[in-house]
Amino acid sequence: MMKKAFIGIMAAVMVCGTIGLVSCSKKGSEASAEAGDDGNFAGQTLYLFNWTYYTPDSVIQKFEKEFGVTVKVDTFDSNEVMYAKLKAGASGYDITFPSQDYASIMIKQNMLREIDLSKMPNKQYINPEVLKKATYDSEMKYCVPYYMGAAGVAVNKQKVKNYEKSWNIFARTDLKGHMSMMDDMREVIGDALAFQGHSVNTLDDAQLESAKNLINKQWKPNLVKFDAEGFGKSFAAGDFWVCQGYAEVVFGEVPEAKQADMIDFFIPKEGGPMYIDSMVILKNAKHYNLAMAFINFIHRPEIYAEFLDAFHFPSFVNTEASKYMKTVPMYKAEEMANCELKEDVAEGLEKYNNIWQEIRFEAN
Amino acid sequence: MNEEIKQPEKPPAANQRTRLNTFNPGPLYAWPMGIWFIIFFLAPLLIIIIYSFMKKGLYGGVEPVFSLNAYSQMLNPKYGILVIRTLKISLISTVITILLATPCGYAMARSKHQTLLLFLIIIPFWTNSLIRIFAWMSILNNDGIVNQLLRKAGFIKDHLQLLYTQGAVILVSVYMYLPYAILPIFTSIDRFDFSLLEAARDLGATKAQSMYKVLIPGIKSGLVTAIIFTFIPIFGAYTVPLLVGGKDSYMLGNIIVDQVNKTRNWPLAAAFSMVITVISTIGVMLVLISNKNEAALNKTSTKEDNYVSDKTSSGAAK
Amino acid sequence: MNTNSYFALKKSLKKSKPPTENATHARKSWKKRNPHLSFSKTILFLTILLLFIPLFVIIIYSFNSSKGSDFTGISLIWYKKLLFGSGDLWSALWNSLIIAFTSAVVSTILGTLASIGINWYRFRGRSFIQTISFLPMVLPEVIIGVSMLIFFSGIKMPLGLFTIFAAHTTFCLPFVLLMVSSRIDEFDFSIIEAAHDLGATESQTMRKIVIPAIMPGIMSGFMMSVTMSLEDFVITFFVSGPGSTTLPLYVYSMIRFGVSPVINALSFVMIIATCLIAFTLRKGLKSFAGNR
Repeated sequence: MMKKAFIGIMAAVMVCGTIGLVSCSKKGSEASAEAGDDGNFAGQTLYLFNWTYYTPDSVIQKFEKEFGVTVKVDTFDSNEVMYAKLKAGASGYDITFPSQDYASIMIKQNMLREIDLSKMPNKQYINPEVLKKATYDSEMKYCVPYYMGAAGVAVNKQKVKNYEKSWNIFARTDLKGHMSMMDDMREVIGDALAFQGHSVNTLDDAQLESAKNLINKQWKPNLVKFDAEGFGKSFAAGDFWVCQGYAEVVFGEVPEAKQADMIDFFIPKEGGPMYIDSMVILKNAKHYNLAMAFINFIHRPEIYAEFLDAFHFPSFVNTEASKYMKTVPMYKAEEMANCELKEDVAEGLEKYNNIWQEIRFEAN
Repeated sequence: MNEEIKQPEKPPAANQRTRLNTFNPGPLYAWPMGIWFIIFFLAPLLIIIIYSFMKKGLYGGVEPVFSLNAYSQMLNPKYGILVIRTLKISLISTVITILLATPCGYAMARSKHQTLLLFLIIIPFWTNSLIRIFAWMSILNNDGIVNQLLRKAGFIKDHLQLLYTQGAVILVSVYMYLPYAILPIFTSIDRFDFSLLEAARDLGATKAQSMYKVLIPGIKSGLVTAIIFTFIPIFGAYTVPLLVGGKDSYMLGNIIVDQVNKTRNWPLAAAFSMVITVISTIGVMLVLISNKNEAALNKTSTKEDNYVSDKTSSGAAK
Repeated sequence: MNTNSYFALKKSLKKSKPPTENATHARKSWKKRNPHLSFSKTILFLTILLLFIPLFVIIIYSFNSSKGSDFTGISLIWYKKLLFGSGDLWSALWNSLIIAFTSAVVSTILGTLASIGINWYRFRGRSFIQTISFLPMVLPEVIIGVSMLIFFSGIKMPLGLFTIFAAHTTFCLPFVLLMVSSRIDEFDFSIIEAAHDLGATESQTMRKIVIPAIMPGIMSGFMMSVTMSLEDFVITFFVSGPGSTTLPLYVYSMIRFGVSPVINALSFVMIIATCLIAFTLRKGLKSFAGNR
């Protein structure tokens, strides 16, 4: 009688112990922190917490080979989720890639370590225009810009013939049932605000109210859903003809051969929200020097060009890289001229929340 | 089996034949799991409870200030719409699932190929669920197989909006949770004495009557388990409404995730979770209690009578 | 069958007339002519078909020569990529399998024992254990994930395979408990008393009577645990550490950029592998499923 329970408990203990040992020993075999001051990183592992595919495999492999290290990448698909995990206490990552509003939050919350610019000779290639726009950290104290872009509108040229390159395309009732916008509060409300000529960071109640009415009364009835994940698939399948979202999502789902005929991606003339993703080093990172080496490596023009090519991005952050690019960008940096950086609105988020709830909760 | 049981030297004395003076193995069996929960779950649970009573931190997390804000925010009538919608979708999905799972469990239990059927049911579920949801998306979309068939058959001209609707959420939820319902029902029917059904038929019952009056009550605990396994996960579901639902399919699970991530209101998410938990617990306890009452009426031997630690009666209550 | 249910049955059927000779003959001969056709079997067949339809779609698309939703032609490129270019994917799969198996084993052992203890005996703390073991099933996954993460960071436990294993075991336990309990509920306890009266020790009773009888419940609980652990995304996301990616994490992270058909190829390979394993183990499994 005792035997059965005893065996059960022993088995459980052994299993737990084994797994515990395995995971502990993995940690123990690493080189000690702060190694690499002399530039020798051999044997270390760099841990990235990155958007999926954001750094192409080819770039990572080149880095691994050149420095004799391993790079492990954990991924996330939204700033919020990355932040929630780090805020709740997850550690072990060296570099992460927040967008500008979350970068400023992380700075305020003391989650980042300072960038030692002396370890980054390639900073000369970073476009000062970008730094000017990066009001949250224009001196690169904590954040090194990675990419600046914006969500726009993808239109299926084969199904929709005459249209204005404006946010108000979503008010067109003849396209009802074939359009989607992202399930992203700041993006959608920001689009409405921009269309009405206001700032995407406004906290003015009247402006927010009129944006809400625009979305609820004119745009939402024509939308099928608010979708931040699968709209690429539905666009490629021909279900959605007009999608608000990131260009790379749509281009990623439509086969190369069909892209030119099918997709017209534009950033509306009224402007809208834009983003700057940065590389930051976390405060408890264990491989600071290796992380700095990685950041520096990314901004080598030929390496950065590889990144741009993988996504057909324009080369605004690192203009030198445009000389090495082999592809034509999906949209041009000039299109973002009217765009505005989404900033952290602190307590004002409540206002956006309430409006978003009124938009999202209703079935129609 | 008999020869392996050790024959005692002398039979135990009459007053020792009961198990009361000997030790009660119950705690030994149950406490290992209890200890596991105390180590790995008690603290997280307390964290959830405590967080629901604290003030929301500006950037996520909480500030160590007592506050009932979260609970008062929950009283917002807008959430009421969502709860009703979630209830409706979950109930419909659960009913459909159980209606499908019961005949399946029955056929499996009576079949000669039980293991094969068990595996057929389970195998699809060792493929990643996301891929299966994507497969459904491509089946249901405007140019997918279903629409193409309907068009060829002449039922419709253009397309039916199948995907991104509440119906799609129900269909995929049923699909996802069918095996979780089939398994307990199968386990329960397997144990059922089928001669009872024959007896019923001989006594004049129709097939439907014998199923309804004999089988269903007999497998009640399996049915209850199946309902619990289906309703509760679908009620809190997040991925399915997110991917295949439309703008009318924003459900409770989505809200809670959004509270943690997008609005960074952890206390509200915790408060929602507490309320869901309390309601589900009450619901399940009511069902289980009524279950036990019925079982007590039918059972020949109540095990509870034997292993109570301080009674003095002996043997079973036959 | 026992006397109570017989009389209850008789009472409830009192109102209907006994069938005529002819009706009984008709029923029995129809059954003889169509032994395989029945309402429940039809539903079972249709359900299995429904369960497998998405699988067929997945398998077909694994042979698609391009990445998107259009089927452009048959090709094996994804299988090649699966074998040669997907180290990360295989290590994620390996992590998933290890965690699924170990957490299923531990939760099945703990859960089965606990189910026996809770259902048959009374002792102090019984209702506490019952309540707390029920909660992981009811709480939303995201809350469990975040709170366990806070807990693990609070006790400075490094995130990794062990934390995922612990989390998975914790949320599989209620399911195992319920599965085994529903089987135990129908177990006639007088058999146990008979065994004790005949002199069997507790261990013998357990090994030779109880466990074999509730084995279908145990196996179902085990299979459910494996399935749920292989599938879990939300909780795993929060408690996983750097480098301990599991398959669902890997796949989910691909959503925004299009899930590569390499996953379809992997799914097909996994299905075949599972079938092969099931086939080779069928003798052993037969005895588990109750000797039918």
